[in-house]
Amino acid sequence: MATPDQKSPNVLLQSLCCRILGRSEADVAQQFQYAVRVIGSNFAPTVERDEFLVAEKIKKELTRQRREADAALFSELHRKLHSQGVLKNKWSILYLLLSLSEDPRRQPGKVSSYATLFAQALPRDAHSTPYYYARPQTLPLNYQERSAPSAQSSGSLGSSGISSIGVHTLNGPPPPPPSLLPGQSHPGPGTGDCLRQQLGARLAWTLTASQPSLQTTTSKGVPSATSRSVTRPRRDGDAGERAVSCSSPYGNHVAGAVEVTEAALVRDILYVFQGIDGRNIKMSSADNCYKVEGKANLNRSLRDTAMRLAELGWLHNKIRKYTDQRSLDRSFGLVGQSFCAALHQELKEYYRLLSVLHSQLQLEDDQGVNLGFESSLTLRRLLVWTYDPKIRLKTLAALVDHCQGRKGGELASAVHAYTKTGDPSMRSLVQHILSLVSHPVLSFLYRWIYDGELEDAHHEFFVASDPTVKTDRLWHDKYTLRTSMIPSFMTMGQCRKVLLIGKSINFLHQVCHDQTPPAKVIAVARSAEPLQDAADLFTDLENAFQGKIDAAYFETSKYLLDVLNRKYSLLDHMQAVRRYLLLGQGDFIRHLMDLLKPELARPATTLYQHNLTGILETAVRATNAQFDSPEILRRLDVRLLEVSPGDTGWDVFSLDYHVDGPIATVFTRECMSHYLRVFNFLWRAKRMEYILTDIRKGHMCNAKLLRNLPEFSGVLHHCHILASEMVHFIHQMQYYITFEVLECSWDELWNQVQQAQDLDHIIAAHEAFLGTVISRCLLDADSRALLNQLRAVFDQIIELQSTQDAICRAALEELQRRLQFEDKKQQREAEGQWGVTAAEEEQESQRVREFRESIPKMCSQLRILTHFYQGVVQQFLVLLTTSPDESLRFLSFRLDFNEHYRAREPRLRVSLGARGRRSSHT
Amino acid sequence: PYHKNHEYYEILLEISRILNTGLDMETLSICVRLCEQGINPEALSSVIKELRKATEALKVEIHMFTHSE
Repeated sequence: MATPDQKSPNVLLQSLCCRILGRSEADVAQQFQYAVRVIGSNFAPTVERDEFLVAEKIKKELTRQRREADAALFSELHRKLHSQGVLKNKWSILYLLLSLSEDPRRQPGKVSSYATLFAQALPRDAHSTPYYYARPQTLPLNYQERSAPSAQSSGSLGSSGISSIGVHTLNGPPPPPPSLLPGQSHPGPGTGDCLRQQLGARLAWTLTASQPSLQTTTSKGVPSATSRSVTRPRRDGDAGERAVSCSSPYGNHVAGAVEVTEAALVRDILYVFQGIDGRNIKMSSADNCYKVEGKANLNRSLRDTAMRLAELGWLHNKIRKYTDQRSLDRSFGLVGQSFCAALHQELKEYYRLLSVLHSQLQLEDDQGVNLGFESSLTLRRLLVWTYDPKIRLKTLAALVDHCQGRKGGELASAVHAYTKTGDPSMRSLVQHILSLVSHPVLSFLYRWIYDGELEDAHHEFFVASDPTVKTDRLWHDKYTLRTSMIPSFMTMGQCRKVLLIGKSINFLHQVCHDQTPPAKVIAVARSAEPLQDAADLFTDLENAFQGKIDAAYFETSKYLLDVLNRKYSLLDHMQAVRRYLLLGQGDFIRHLMDLLKPELARPATTLYQHNLTGILETAVRATNAQFDSPEILRRLDVRLLEVSPGDTGWDVFSLDYHVDGPIATVFTRECMSHYLRVFNFLWRAKRMEYILTDIRKGHMCNAKLLRNLPEFSGVLHHCHILASEMVHFIHQMQYYITFEVLECSWDELWNQVQQAQDLDHIIAAHEAFLGTVISRCLLDADSRALLNQLRAVFDQIIELQSTQDAICRAALEELQRRLQFEDKKQQREAEGQWGVTAAEEEQESQRVREFRESIPKMCSQLRILTHFYQGVVQQFLVLLTTSPDESLRFLSFRLDFNEHYRAREPRLRVSLGARGRRSSHT
Repeated sequence: PYHKNHEYYEILLEISRILNTGLDMETLSICVRLCEQGINPEALSSVIKELRKATEALKVEIHMFTHSE
């Protein structure tokens, strides 16, 4: 469709003006300007653009006017129109027609009276209307600056706006109750009823009950303008005063202050309640409060009351600012969002109250002077009505302040702090908010407890998971407590339990590969309702919550231990470690040592692992160890430590026990290295025992033989004595190690493990066990001096062994030769010759003399050895008596039971102080 | 002008008569054009009402003026 004569709206408007006014174009300038202004300002229609709605309205209007035939005709026409499809904005034109329609029943006489009353507007024309001077501006259709969002509302509130009448007429079905964002107060005719139902507050009752409902304004059309006209006088005052404070496009300011009426203040206050600056009362950011404009001439009491009321607006702003800021913050998290939602809910209630007040104001405007001058909205009444909301808002604002910058569990703690107040209404308000806020925390918690899942994108929960940790360290490192996020209504004990439960579930899933949760836990999980629980948590059912946690803890831990023992035989492995690494299996160790002795005497570099492993297997098969389960034997292995130069096999040999999977959680790598150190120590001590028995054996064997060497007996005796001393020493050490260290600690460990309620207990008990063993075996850092001494003792024993070997060899050689000599002599005599020749005898006696001379050397050697040994032992004893460990001190008593060393060592004679301990001295 | 040739214009005229809007053909056509171009009908109707009032006022003035003489 070609449209060559699409004229611009301006042109059309001008021609419209011409036509209606019946004048030429030049004369309609004023009206045209006005028209342009109106059209330009009211751009968006306030009513819904529903064509059918408008059509219905028209029909209703017609039927109301008892013109059913016309109504039917209209329906027909509308149907035809609708099928046309040429017009694009059918709604628009229909609406226009409806709004221009006039009830033919109305009396035509009123027109002229309107004229006199409405006759203003055209300043250029010479009028004698009485209202001219009061209205410097032209037209009643006064509108505010478009920028203020209140433009719409005050357009309907303050203006005489026939448009607003139109809206009232045409809004048949009431619009949905407005969600009152600041600036829009647009209550429809049915609002009075709706509010009455929704609020049920005293306020709503008092306001709406006393007024006829706004329904009566519908379809009054022009007749309602009569009431409007009567309100002119009052309204003019407003408009006039409004002219003072707003800068109109015409720049018409009336100089000098005008008295600000209470009604104007009430209006302003209603805006301030929503945080918008009113005409007189504006927010002054310097002082952060609302202030009345200085120029306004205001009654002192009014000013004070207005200031008190303005506080409500300040509180509202504060809360609003917080929620708005937080809604933009993406990392605020669920707890924070629920807090904002709770605040928003409260604000919505507040807005409802404001809408009631606004509607009241609206009612007055519409009803006009019928109410007389006792309008129901005064500042005093507002004070009373807003008292309760003010308290609520104060609480909320205080909460907002307190919660600045917090999130997650911290936020919940902050809110919880505010429930500790004596004021019951405040407490119930904060508790309500708290239950909403803690809902996400509780749902995190339940998920964690029952499923072991942690979905916490904003780090709000107090259990933190470290994603970089692999499964072997899952139990120890992966989950930690984030203490800052622990809400103050949960105790530390509860939180630790919670952490443990989730950890156990994850451990079961990932490390033990066990997916089935215990049956009881499932049952409980199904009944968990976070929202309900959140509300209950703070009333009186704290014990129910604790009970839930405890039940989950108990079940999960029991199940975990079950799995560990059944499937992974944790306790069996523990015993096996004791048997093998801690030399518990005596016969096996003995046999192993026997077999290994020739091997280990060689230098360390010549040892091969597979040889040693073979020997190990032999030992296992030959002793009771073969009856152990193959699972355990599988893990037993030989390990060669790092070789330093000069090492023999004894220094590098070690047993090893392989652990993996869940067992490795208890026997961590550090634990295993500790075990190896202890093994080393025990192995050495065992070896000393072994050596001494060898020496003893040697003595036994050679004693008889060497009786024939009388000069030798002194040396031998000396050897005996020294050996006995050493035997005694080693004996006591072994006793100490075996009974006081190993057995006792193991017993304690076993008891604790049997009674353990969860894996943490087992791990702790195990580590305590190892700690004790290490410190008592002189392996920890403090006992380094003692350990060195002990090593020195061991070295002496080895020295003795080698010395004795040498002596015995020499003696035996000598013996052998003498016997040989005797034999030869006898043999010769038997043959009838001389027994010995002179030369031979000479030789023989020479040799014997040499031998006899070497004896003192041997003696002195032994004496040195003895002296050295005794010195070392005395040193050891001194250190023992100054050690902080009680059992070591008692060891010193046993070692020196007959005070043999005490006699020689002056330091040992110093009397013991309190608690049997000598102070340490160098 | 071409508007008047269309059927819907007749319909609208009829509706306007039923509703007793007091709009004549020319004015109606202007209004329709304005609405089609997207003008807010609320504003437009208020303008029209205001203009009518102004007209009435003028008429009364003139009447009084002429009568006072």
